[in-house]
Parts: sequence; structure tokens; C-alpha cells
Amino acid sequence: MSEQVRSVQRTRFIAPRVERSLITAGHALLVVATLVAALFPLFWVLLGSFKLPADVMRLPPVIVFEPTIANYLTVIRDRFVFFFENSVVISGGSVLLTIIVGVPAAYGLSRLRIRFKKTLMLLILSVRFAPYIIFALPLFLIMSELGLIGHRPSLVIVYTIINLPVVIWLMRAFFDDIPTELDEAAAIDGASRFRTFMSILVPCARPGIATVTILSFIFAWNEYLFALILSGRDSQTLTVGLTRFLGGMEDAIRWGQLSAWSVSIVAPIVILALLVNRHLRRGFTGGLG
Amino acid sequence: MARDTKAAFAYIGPAMFVLLIVAALPLGVALATSTTNWHLHRAAQREFIGLANYIRLFEDPRFIYSLQVTLLYTAVSVGVSMIGGFVLALMMRRTFPGRNLVRALLTIPLIMTPVVSATMYRVFFYDADRGLFNWILGTLGLPTPVWVASWPMAFYAICIIQIWFMTPFVFLVCDAAMESLPREPFDAAKIDGAGYLQRIIRLVIPMMRDTLIFALIFRITIDYRMFDTIYVTTRGGPARYTEVMSVWVYNRALRSFDVGYANAGSVVMALVVALICLGLMLYNYRRREAVS
Repeated sequence: MSEQVRSVQRTRFIAPRVERSLITAGHALLVVATLVAALFPLFWVLLGSFKLPADVMRLPPVIVFEPTIANYLTVIRDRFVFFFENSVVISGGSVLLTIIVGVPAAYGLSRLRIRFKKTLMLLILSVRFAPYIIFALPLFLIMSELGLIGHRPSLVIVYTIINLPVVIWLMRAFFDDIPTELDEAAAIDGASRFRTFMSILVPCARPGIATVTILSFIFAWNEYLFALILSGRDSQTLTVGLTRFLGGMEDAIRWGQLSAWSVSIVAPIVILALLVNRHLRRGFTGGLG
Repeated sequence: MARDTKAAFAYIGPAMFVLLIVAALPLGVALATSTTNWHLHRAAQREFIGLANYIRLFEDPRFIYSLQVTLLYTAVSVGVSMIGGFVLALMMRRTFPGRNLVRALLTIPLIMTPVVSATMYRVFFYDADRGLFNWILGTLGLPTPVWVASWPMAFYAICIIQIWFMTPFVFLVCDAAMESLPREPFDAAKIDGAGYLQRIIRLVIPMMRDTLIFALIFRITIDYRMFDTIYVTTRGGPARYTEVMSVWVYNRALRSFDVGYANAGSVVMALVVALICLGLMLYNYRRREAVS
């Protein structure tokens, strides 16, 4: 753009064409630098996961090396599948539950005439903004009393706390965007409210539902605090599984394994996120990251 | 006006019921136990002690320190990421080949598992002997600190992770908001001879005020309650220098088992952030009133 090139007010030392290409080059350099800063950690851990123990700790760092899949084989032997299964079941189950109760609630808050709608929305939002430890610790106390620690279903329910507010806020925005004429037309044709919701609004909001589903899945997948406090031996998720390494992390032999673990945890969601990036961006910005 | 009370129960009821169980009930338990001397090792002698826990909190230098370091951490990482994300969004206004791909790739830190990011930083970058940061510093002939084991480097270490993690969020929000700004005021200002910086300060920022306040509130609440990256990177150490509030509550409850006291701490923690957010919302509201 020519914004930076204000020929009228400034004495020139270089020709405008040179100046413009200098600006382009500078801009390109900045973009590349930003990309490197954003992606380097992921790139580095990906590289590290294919290195042999001797290469992974070598300084100066090696870029060219003999790749190995030994680290990934250790990961599989290291009960990765167990943690992975827990993460899939708990995240998936909680997303399903969140969508089933959250989408009708969003519809209700968009279309129904009820009292205290604004207050209700703000209360839901405040759950999203609250420090999670204020829920996590009492939940630990309640669940230990009831002997529910370590059951997958209890984590499935608890995880709704992260996602239900997001789903309700985002989906309400989606429903608000659908013209009410559609509802009215359906009502004139004699469709019940539930019928209208199921066969007109839900199909119209399908892109929105897809967005919040993926977003919720990522949030649940990445969750650590609740998983750490509330999971017993049988329900530990991938994030808890990874931090088992922390104690012996100074032991450099395990760097490669640690990398392979890290890559295996983030690969599913990074791929998912890049595939549906456009929807995801709308999700992050449309309501609440 | 007719109200749809019955339908409201059917549609909104289930969600409210779930939130009642996972949010309202724990909140009630937190408030109730914060007035007791409940200690998991002496669970039998659980007594009501009124506000004694709260008084103890404000006489506990470690709690006060924890509150301070949390606020400092929040201020630093929110501040840097807000400015960084905004500048990044400005940078991406310029069209260039591959722009959409770059925008997509910039979201990666945001969706990466925070525990994984923190582990990567701690192992590959912050390690005192074999970490990349110290290797680079050493090559440049600069002093090489023991990152996560020394103050204030441990503090910078947790801030860097958070800034890396959250700048893309501010970028996304600003990028979307800038996309929808009308062009005319800027063209007019340009014709009137306003410089680039002047147009940003006088036009872009005021027009984006609501978005920026939203992003700010969001950012504050996330950093203020941050547990994952800090716990993984420093465990609140060295000593207890990076023991932010979430870690403080966690340690009091699950290491010292002093759950009544820990719950009082989390109640104070929630009240402080609620006040900050309400203050910001009120400021924005007043500001909007003043404009219109």
C-alpha cells in the first residue's frame, strides 16, 4: 500500500520505486520472523521426535540427522494408547453432552420470550471467566466424598464447565443470525416449536454446530487442571500422561520420547484445526475464544 | 407480552441443570468450606470458624505475594500480547501472496495443548545446559541464566510461554475486527494529511474500542487463572517465587491438605478478578455513554 509513501510531505533520498520495494521486503521479513516465532517450537519438537538420543541433546543443534521412529515405538509401549483412549472418550463424551444440552439452550436464549435473559447470559459468561480452581477443588472434595474420582463419566460431566458457556454464547449468535421469518413461516404451516427447531433451525445452524463441536473438542483435549485433580489411575488423559515425564525430564535420554509424546498429543488437533481453520477463526472471534 | 416459561424449561433447563451441578454447587461448597478449618488430615474435627480463614489470608505474606505475582504476570503477559496481537493484525492488513495461509498458521500456538507447549519450552529452550536459549545467548557471548530455577528468569520464562500462546488470540480478534472496519474514514483522514500512526491512534483504536475491551477482559481472565503452563514449567518455583494464585490454591489443598484455607484463597481470587472485569466493563460503558 502507498500509505507509507507520502511523497508530498517528505524530502526524498531514494527513488519511490526503490522505497516501495524496500518496504515490501521489510514487511516480508517481518512476516517470516513472526511465522518462525510462532511455529519454531512445534517444528523443533517434531524434529526432536525423530532424533536418536545422541542427536536430540547435541549442541550446536543438528538439523540433518539420521531419522528414527524408535521414540514413537517407545511411546506406544509406554501406554500411550491407554491415555489416548481416555482423552478421546472423555473429550468426545463431554462434547456430545455439551452439544446436546447447549444447542437447545442457545435456541431458547435466542428465540424464547423469557425474563432475566440478559442476566442468565451474563451468569453463563461468568462461568467462562471464573478461575477454574474455584470449581476444581470443591469438585474434588465432593467427588472424593462420593467415590467418583477416577471414573470417566464424572470427568465427562465436569468438562462441560469449560465448553457449555462457549457453546451457548456462540450458538446463540448463530441462531440470532437466522431470520425469524423462517420460524414464522414454519409456524404458519403448522409446525410445532420443536419441529421448527429440529428441521429448520438446526440444519440452518449446521456450520455453527460444526464450529463449536471442533472448538469444544480442542478445549477438552487440551484441558489439564481438572484432569490432574479429578482423574484417578483409570481416567488419566494425555495431558496428565505427558506430565508424568516431568520428574525425570533432566534425564536427556528421554528427550526424544518426550518429543514423540508431545507430537502425538498435538498432531490430531493441529491437523483438525488446520482443516477447518476458517470455521475455527469465526469461533474464536465470534464469541469467546 | 406472553412468556414462554414452559418451553424455557424444556430448552434451557437441561443446560442450567448441568451448570448447576458443575458450577453452582462447587461454588457453594467453596464458600461453605472457606468458613471451616477443614483439613484433610483431621477431617473429623471440621468446625465453623467464621471469617478466620480470610483474616489469616491477609496476614499470610505468601498469599499476598502470590496475589501480587499473579497480577504482575497478568499485567506483563496481557500487555505484551495485546500490543503484539494488534501490531500483528495491522501487519496483516497488507495483502501478499499466501496471506490466508499465514493467518491460518498463526493460529497454531493458540490451539496447541498448553501443557505440551510448556513442556517443550522447559525442555528444549529453558534447559540451563542444553537448552536452545542458553546456547544462543552463549554463542553471542551473553550471560546464560538457569532459566526456570532462578528469579526473575523463571518469571520471564512463564511470561514468554503465555505471550507466545496468547498473542495469536489477540491477533485473531483484531484481524476480524479490522476486516469489518469501514474504509471511508481512513481515506478521508489520509486526504486530510493524517499520518499512518495518527490514523491508528485517532481512528482505528477508537473504532475498535469494544473489541479491544472484550479481548482485554478475555485475556485478563485467562492469564489470571493460568495453572497449566506455570505448573508444568516451574511448579511455582524457584522456592515459591512463581506461585501464582491457582498454583497457591492447588498446593495448599493438595499438598498441605488445608482445604478450608485453600478455598478461602480461591474465593478471594475470584472476587479480585470479578472486580477487575466489572471495572473494565463499567469504564467501557461510561465511555460509550460519553461518546453518544
